[in-house]
Formats: sequence, structure tokens, C-alpha cells
Amino acid sequence: MNARRKRGKLPAICQGRNRLRLLALVPALMLLPVVRAIGAPVQSANARSTQSDAPRVVVDGTGRRVKIPARVGRIVSLAPNLTETLYALGLGDRLVGDTTYCDVPEDAKTKPHVGAPVNPSVEAIIALRPNMVFATTSINRVETVDALEHLGIPVYTTNSQTVREMIDSVGQIADVTDAAAVGAALTASLNARLDALRKRLAGEPPVRAVFVVWLDPLQSVGQHTFIADAMRWAGAESVVTSNQNWPQLSFEEVVRLQPEYFVFASSHSGEGAVTVEDLQKRPVWKDLRAVRDGHVAIVSDEIDRPDPGLIGAIEELARDLHPKAFKASAKDRMRSLPASRESICLTNRCATLGDQELTVAGWFGWYHNAFQSENGAGGLRGAAR
Amino acid sequence: MAIAIENEIRGMRTLTARRVAGVCAILLGVLFVAVVISLRLGAFPLSVRDILATLVNGLLGRSDRVPSEFALVVFGLRLPRIALGILVGASLATAGAGFQALLRNPLADPYVLGVSSGAALGAILSIIFLPHVPGAIQAAAFVGAVITITAVFFLGRRGGQLDSATLLLAGIVAASFLSAGIMFLMTTLPGRDLRGMAFWLMGDLSSPPPTQNVRGWFVFLFVLFAIAGGAIYLTASDLNLILTGEKEAQHLGVNVRRVKLVVYVCASALTGLAVSVSGAIGYVGLLVPHAMRMLFGNDYRLLIPTSALGGAIAIVIADTLARTVVAPTELPVGAMTALAGAPVFIYLLRRRVR
Repeated sequence: MNARRKRGKLPAICQGRNRLRLLALVPALMLLPVVRAIGAPVQSANARSTQSDAPRVVVDGTGRRVKIPARVGRIVSLAPNLTETLYALGLGDRLVGDTTYCDVPEDAKTKPHVGAPVNPSVEAIIALRPNMVFATTSINRVETVDALEHLGIPVYTTNSQTVREMIDSVGQIADVTDAAAVGAALTASLNARLDALRKRLAGEPPVRAVFVVWLDPLQSVGQHTFIADAMRWAGAESVVTSNQNWPQLSFEEVVRLQPEYFVFASSHSGEGAVTVEDLQKRPVWKDLRAVRDGHVAIVSDEIDRPDPGLIGAIEELARDLHPKAFKASAKDRMRSLPASRESICLTNRCATLGDQELTVAGWFGWYHNAFQSENGAGGLRGAAR
Repeated sequence: MAIAIENEIRGMRTLTARRVAGVCAILLGVLFVAVVISLRLGAFPLSVRDILATLVNGLLGRSDRVPSEFALVVFGLRLPRIALGILVGASLATAGAGFQALLRNPLADPYVLGVSSGAALGAILSIIFLPHVPGAIQAAAFVGAVITITAVFFLGRRGGQLDSATLLLAGIVAASFLSAGIMFLMTTLPGRDLRGMAFWLMGDLSSPPPTQNVRGWFVFLFVLFAIAGGAIYLTASDLNLILTGEKEAQHLGVNVRRVKLVVYVCASALTGLAVSVSGAIGYVGLLVPHAMRMLFGNDYRLLIPTSALGGAIAIVIADTLARTVVAPTELPVGAMTALAGAPVFIYLLRRRVR
């Protein structure tokens, strides 16, 4: 009967083969305290930070709500264009960390690095104790931003698809970091330069061009990228009609399009300079109309970066593609370009970046003068003039 | 042939609970050491004393006694990542052992039946259609995995029950088709949001939990693992018999059809679970069961728990290397599992051949 079964014997589950199976539970039980420990302290850390220093909530470029602390004193930048923008706004001393690719201006290379823009080390970011991190949709991942927000670090993400949007985002960054006055001056000057350029190129028909990101395989830019928009401002039309951001082209397509100009960035995405002579030696390239005529424009690397320096690259490209529009007299040039650009040389503010009193206008003057002298008069290489 | 089978069965029957407990204890010890090393290493400088202080104060609820960054790094970053690594490693290795038994093929790994491709396709579709919904990627990946499991199940049947050769072929076809679909989507879509997808496909343990209730999330995952892994473990002695031949096992009283179904569903569920939370981490499901087989023998009653622990150890070590080798850049875990696992495996292979 039942009484005999129950007295003096272990229940069936503890006997024989079942004992082996019960052993499986032991590791699970040992891990329980670990699991218990995981959640709580992070939540309390989050609660503490949100109580003490978050008076404002702004909406960033991707529509996220970001809590801005009262004093943004320690900034980490997760992209080279954001680092340049922060320096252009005079916030270089508040920047405590950037990526390994941030190389303009020189001072950015000396800041502690948190990794590559695509996969930075979250621990390295935490080690710098930032109270604001800037990211951009053009190179950073959503997962990185999510991970930082999960740990209670505010991240402002910019999202600029066109040149004007980029200038707006510069203003937004200035507002977030309490540099609104400098930001307003900078955006006004950048917009003025764009308007002046548009007026100068008013009568010229746009040049049909292809921007080459990579030669093997041939990659160009799509219609909705900021590079295509920058080319439009420079009086060129990217004839690659693709909605993808970095479409891979078949060479037949290029032969069919027969663009008037090819545009390269001067470092050619890190591979080293491409010159007209290189292209004129390449098997099928040398028979293209543009290459035969030497219509290859090499612009500064700023064309790859949506930051204030992009305007300079646009002006340089415009000069290259529409030399007639720029053959005006020196006096006309002085009148039409904003004062900040010419006045630096006249007033001796061609200072190095070691100069602590550098103003925004002076920074731009330094940058453009440095670039002009590096590339010779007119700042171009291999262009037909 | 009959003598060989008899010897195999006789050799397996001498397994005792003490041996299992002993081996598991050794592996748990190795896992503990790996966890300690993983907690210690990282971009944020933390000494062992700092870690101990943070752990003790955190467990006792006195988190204000340590700097908040310490607690953030230990409890917010490293510990969840280690826990996720243990879970994913254990799931993949157990699933790998299960598939190797089910398909009677030493080259079977958790992805051979297309589960990871189905999960990846689900993840990509969720990135396209539901970009900023928290938890969407994990849920969609799991749904993709489940759909693939069901489809391959119906394709892989022969005479009403799962046939290993047919199942393998059906799985390979499904995997190829789904991978082609993924490649098509990745090359034709705008591309801005798919940067993360490339990392996901290589395996990435750094994504934060989709909810703020981190503890609840991990409890949920561990419960799923315990259910699926436990079910496979309960069929372990039957699997030993099936390995000697299905007809033989049938004659010895094993319900072969039911065992195959249980192993198929549970191993696929474990793979789907692992892939949904961390992407497709390769080689663990293939190499770890073989390594454990070489070390501890072919008995599934021992192989399954040791594979689980071995997989956990492998992923924790690989993730630690991925975080620290090229600091401050973080490599994806999948890049390290083959690099770290292959030399160990070669050593074991040479030892066995000798």
C-alpha cells in the first residue's frame, strides 16, 4: 500500500539516474545571486543622475528626447565631423575624448581616444566621465547610442542629409553646449558664403560629374547624400541616379553616362592621392572623355565630412569646375567674399592653433590659409583651367 | 560490429553521478576563473579590490559606498555581458551537441539547419520596418528562427518522422535561400541603418537589454535556457542508444520518433534564443562539443552538461579577448571564437591522433 512506499525510502526523483538529472540544477542555483546582483545598482545610478542635473529636454536630429545637463563641461565626440564642429565652435577645451579617426584640427589627435566611430568602447567612454556625448547618423550605430543611453549618459545625435541641414545642426550643437552666440555667428557666416557662391554661379549650367568614393570596385554617392548636395552647391550634378547611399556602379554605367568631370577626395578614402596621370594610365578609364580632357577634380578631404569645413571644399570644387565665374577682378573677390576670409591675412591673424585667443573667424582664416598654401595658388591639383 | 556496440554501451554504463559532478565542478571552476579575469580586464581601469568592493556593496545594497562609475562598469557593462556570454555559449554548445546527435554528423553545428539565417532575416526586416522599437530586433529574430524551424521540420520529414539526411538537406537549402535574401536586402537598401547589421551578423554581445528591468530580462532568458536545455538533457541516455543505430535503439525500447522531435525542437529553440540576443556567433556550437567529446568521452549524459559549461567558458574568454586585444576598439565576438578556439581544437586533435 502507500504507507510502505513512503516510509524510509527517498522519493523516486532522488534515486539512481534521476540523481544525475538533478545535478543539472546545481549550476543554475549557483548563478542566482549573480543574476540578482545585475539589475539594481544600474537603476539606482540612473535615478541619481536624472534627479540632480537635467533641467532641459531637447529633441535631437533623430527625434530622440535627450536630457541636457545644466553644465556641459565634458564632451565626448564619436565622429570626426563632430570633433571639427566642436573645435569650430571654440569648445575644444571641453572635449575630453574623441575617436581614433579624429585628425582635424591637430589638437584633436592628442585627446584620449575611445575607439573607432563604428564600434567605440563604451567602457572607455565611461572612463572619461562625460556629461554629453555627440553622435551622428552618418557613421555611428544606433546600438552604441542605445547602450550609452541605457547607462544614463545623454547622447545627442545629429542627422544631416544636406548642406543646409548640416549648418542647422552646427547651430543646434551650439545651443546644446551653451555656445549659442558663437554658433549663430558661425552659421550666419557659413550661410552667407553659400549664398554668395550661389549668386556667383547663377549663370552657369551645372556640370555633369561623378564623385568617386572608391575605384576598385567603383563606388559613388547616391542622390540623397550630403556629398551629392554639396556638389549641387558647387555647380555640379551627380549623374549617379541611385537612392542608395554608396552605390556600387558597373563600369558600363559610367561609360554610358560619360560625365564631364570626375571628383575625388584628396586622400581617396585613405588610399592615397589619385592624380589625372594615374587615371590616364588605367586601361578603360583613359578612354573616357573626362579623363582624356584632364577633367578630374581633386578636392580636400573635407568633402567627406559634414562639418563647417565642407563649405571650403564646396568653394574649392566650384572654383575648379567653373573657373570662368571666378576670373573676376581681385577687388570683386574682396567685395563678394565675407570679410572674415580675407581680413585674416590683412590683420595678421594667421595664427597657429596654439594661440589661445583664436576667434571663430580667425580659426577659419587659419584653416583656409593653411590649405591654400599647401596646395599652391588656387588650391587645386590636376584641374583644367 | 555487435561486439563494438556492446563495448560502447558497456563503457557508457559505468558513468556515475560522481563522475558527472566531478567533471562539472572542474569546468565550473574554470568558468569561475574566466569570469574573474573577464571582470578584471577592460578599458576602464579597475583593480581586483575595486571589483570586489563593488560586488560586495552591490549585493548588500550599499551602492553609494563605491563611485558610481565603478558600479556602472561592473553591473551595467561587464556583468551583463558576461552573463549573456555564458547564456549564449551554453545554448549554442548544447544545441550543437544535440544537432550532432540528431543528424549523426560530426560537422553539424547549430546553424546548419538554417535557424541563424532565419533569425538574421527577421532582424534585418525589423531594422527596416520597426527601426527604433526596443526589443523589436530580438523578437523578430526569434520569430524568424521559429518560422525556419517549422519550415525545415516539414521539409525534413520522411515516412512521417525526421530523417537525418533529408533534414540536413532541407536545412542547407533553407540556410542558402535565407542567406541569399539577406545579401539582397543588404546590398539594395539605403544602407544607413544596416551598419549595425554587419556587426550583428558577426556576433555582438554588447547590445543592451531591450528593457530597463535588466534582472527580469536575464531571469527570463535563463528560464528559457533551462527549459530547453533540460529537455535535451532528459533525453541524453536515449540519445546514447540512438547513436548506435535507430533500429537498435527502437528495439531496446526507445521512442526514437519522440526523442528526435524533442531534440530538434529544443536545440533549434536554443539556437534561436542565442542568435536573437547576440547575432550569429560561429564555431562554438561545432568545436565545443567535439572538444568535450575528446576530453570526456561520448556519453551524452556527460557530454551535454560539459558542452554547456565548455561553451560558456569559450564565449567568456573570446569576448574578453574581443574587448581587450585591439583596445579601445571592440572586435565582434564571432571574430574571436574561431581565432581562440582553433588552436585549442588543433591541440586536442593532435593529442587524440597520437
